[in-house]
Amino acid sequence: MRGADYVLKRLVFAVLTVFIAVTINFALFRLAPGSAVTNLARVPHATPETRLALKREFGLDKSKFQQYVLYLQQLAHGNLGISFANQQPVSSNLRTALINTVPMVFLGTLFAIVLGTLTGIISAWRRGTKAEGASIVTALTFYSMPTHWLGLMLVILFAGVLPTGGMSNEFLINPSFTTHVKDLGEHIALPALTLGLVLYGEYTLIVRSAMLETLGEDYVLTARAKGLKPWAVLRRHALRNAMLPITTLVALSLGYIVAGAILIETVFSWPGIGRAVYDAVLQRDYPMLQGAFLVLTISVVFFNLVADLLYFRLDPRITE
Amino acid sequence: MRKWLAVLSTAILAAGLAGFATQASGSGSGAKAGGTFRMGTSSRIDSLNPYVAFNQDAYNTFEYVYPFLVQYDKTNSKFAPDFATSWKPSDGGKTWTFKTRSGAKWTDGQPLTAKDAAWTITTDLKYAAGGAANAAGLVAHIKSAKAPNANTLVVRYSKAPGNVLGQFQQLAILPQHIWSKHTGNKGTNLKTFSNNPLVGAGPFKLAKFKKDDIALFQRNSSFYGEKPKVDAFGLQMFSNEDALVAALKAHQIDAIEAVPGTAIKTLKNAGFNVRSTAGVDQTDFIINSNSKKSGHRELLNLKVKAAMAHAIDRKQIVRVVFLGYARPASSIIPAATGAWANPAVKPESFNLALANKLLDGAGFKKGSDGIRVAGGHKMSYDMITPTDVPSTNRTFQILQPDFKKIGIQLRQRALDSTAAFDAITTPDNKYLKFDLALWDWVGLIDPDFMLSVVTCAQYGGWSDSGFCDKKYDSMYSKQQLTPNQAKRKALVWAMQRYLQAKRPYIWLAAQDAVWAVSKNWAGLVASPQGPFNSINKLSLSRVHQQ
Repeated sequence: MRGADYVLKRLVFAVLTVFIAVTINFALFRLAPGSAVTNLARVPHATPETRLALKREFGLDKSKFQQYVLYLQQLAHGNLGISFANQQPVSSNLRTALINTVPMVFLGTLFAIVLGTLTGIISAWRRGTKAEGASIVTALTFYSMPTHWLGLMLVILFAGVLPTGGMSNEFLINPSFTTHVKDLGEHIALPALTLGLVLYGEYTLIVRSAMLETLGEDYVLTARAKGLKPWAVLRRHALRNAMLPITTLVALSLGYIVAGAILIETVFSWPGIGRAVYDAVLQRDYPMLQGAFLVLTISVVFFNLVADLLYFRLDPRITE
Repeated sequence: MRKWLAVLSTAILAAGLAGFATQASGSGSGAKAGGTFRMGTSSRIDSLNPYVAFNQDAYNTFEYVYPFLVQYDKTNSKFAPDFATSWKPSDGGKTWTFKTRSGAKWTDGQPLTAKDAAWTITTDLKYAAGGAANAAGLVAHIKSAKAPNANTLVVRYSKAPGNVLGQFQQLAILPQHIWSKHTGNKGTNLKTFSNNPLVGAGPFKLAKFKKDDIALFQRNSSFYGEKPKVDAFGLQMFSNEDALVAALKAHQIDAIEAVPGTAIKTLKNAGFNVRSTAGVDQTDFIINSNSKKSGHRELLNLKVKAAMAHAIDRKQIVRVVFLGYARPASSIIPAATGAWANPAVKPESFNLALANKLLDGAGFKKGSDGIRVAGGHKMSYDMITPTDVPSTNRTFQILQPDFKKIGIQLRQRALDSTAAFDAITTPDNKYLKFDLALWDWVGLIDPDFMLSVVTCAQYGGWSDSGFCDKKYDSMYSKQQLTPNQAKRKALVWAMQRYLQAKRPYIWLAAQDAVWAVSKNWAGLVASPQGPFNSINKLSLSRVHQQ
């Protein structure tokens, strides 16, 4: 029953978090100076009456409270609204941007998790050696690099070898399946690599720290004393017990995949969610911003919930 | 003011431009037909819907996929036939009759006739205050548009306007059989129609469009006019200028629509053809000229404005901010518009001694810290700079020390463009709070639009200076309704002189249009908007391999 209580509490907390985030998102964007009408009413040849017409059209002539209630009603019907900027459904805009973003960010994050975990384990296992020093210095160097700068360096380094912009070569005429896949791979390589390199250092440090803690535990000493092979000690006893902080970090990273990577998307002209949100901020496109942040909120809350539930599985002491 | 502000040309261009007009008009030796011309841009097509689109590249796209009644000829100096083959005013300029092409077709095979043009104009009129607001100004003063037969369009005006062809050069004709299904909800549905796939009738048809990524156009073999030499044209959108330049150098694209100043030398050294011509994008120093503003009223003093104008080192701005690819500006009408720009309106000399003398003469004494005092307060002002116009940062850095030398302190207030415009117009579009700002205008070639932005009617609309002057408004209305172009030019010149005297703006620099193209390609036609423009359908129709 304790387990059921724990799950229920986590679920209620998740739903409450989403509701609060929805409310804050609604208020936050409207606090910024200017409104969508500031931009949209300034189209070539538009008359001053256009401004009023747009306000009415977007419902911005209503009170903030009325707008909020309307927004909640729309949400309850699963309707994210219509983008002020391009007049298309927000859900459709978000879907397109997410389809573009998720593979690239997922690949980069996966690269970071794998590389970071490996280097973290090596650093902890080979503590005090040159391998640890090299691993930590490299990880910290990449971790501290400004993302856009690293991206630009890769653009300069790989110009002519790999594509520097876009998601695919749209000028290919009737490419074969293999050619198309190769083209996609070439386009995704640099942005995913940039993201992976910037992120992996964080994993290295966390994994190293968690591993050092467990490697110093008595049960590891016992395992060694029993004559277990180093790999078995590492995998069965040290790594398993170091999983809690790693799980948190992985869950957080996966939650943020839908946020995209604005700097990377900008450097590599990747038409993803990060750029869509940035544009929406500049244009004060409230429905688009609300929709994007709702998706992000739900994603982060969902993966945190998954992490919480995994904790329960990994470490039953949590419910005690 | 904004980069996306369409430079929808309607007038005469600089005479010198003619020399640049064609690199090779398709008749050069070794010219080859076919192929795909790939152009990169750091701008983008924000929408395929003419009732929604903002960005210049969207308007450029419409030029190549839709019919327009008229366009400019290859020298950009005269109106030339597009869908209309001839036109004739009557009734003192209040009725215009256009003869249109016969046998023209939309890309879906349906006939394109004068009825489509009449329907487009009528729809724009009907929903001018709602769904068709984007086109409202283009149909101003029109009473009706009718097509008595498939090849005749008759447009009637309530008053004889001065720029009929200029307006129609900007108005895309839409297919009635497609768009008439989207006029519901009192015309609001015009804006929610995605218009993809796009049915057009220009020299190209849109084959593929991915927002913020790619637009691929195929040659439209049923086009009524000059057929493109290439099989296809692609516009690849980059959000990073370094990646754009790297893509050209790696021959992943064939040309760059607008080359960043810092890359010009690199591309020249790498063997690319880099071309430039005078442009219509001008940076400006805005002074709140609202006579009702309560604070810092000394900024309304014309002597103070004149002193500020003499404290601006335009040559330094051109050299440092634009790396030499700009020219000192002086008038609201850019010099690139040719005859419309008044040559007598010249940039003020950079003369700090004169500026100090003017301020001394106006009675503003310097305090112990070197800053002048006006009405009991220091002459110390916030200057709003929009973050999406990067040149304003460097420009401010040049202005600030020079202004300090004349006893005026400037503080930068960088805001994104929405917040910046809000700060300028606050409160409630009354323009009472702001003092100074830097921005840019990408003006139209026809002077009407640029002249309109300082009219009282533009409060809360295009106005970013709070300038409202009845005499000026009267001059504006008069030029708008002067069909005789020579008389209209005289009025336009007088308005420029008047504005320089009143100085809601001090014009800083007119940026050149600079583009780069691989040596394997030729035929692009120059324009102040660059080689991909909304001036005419020539540039991409004539580009070819060599």
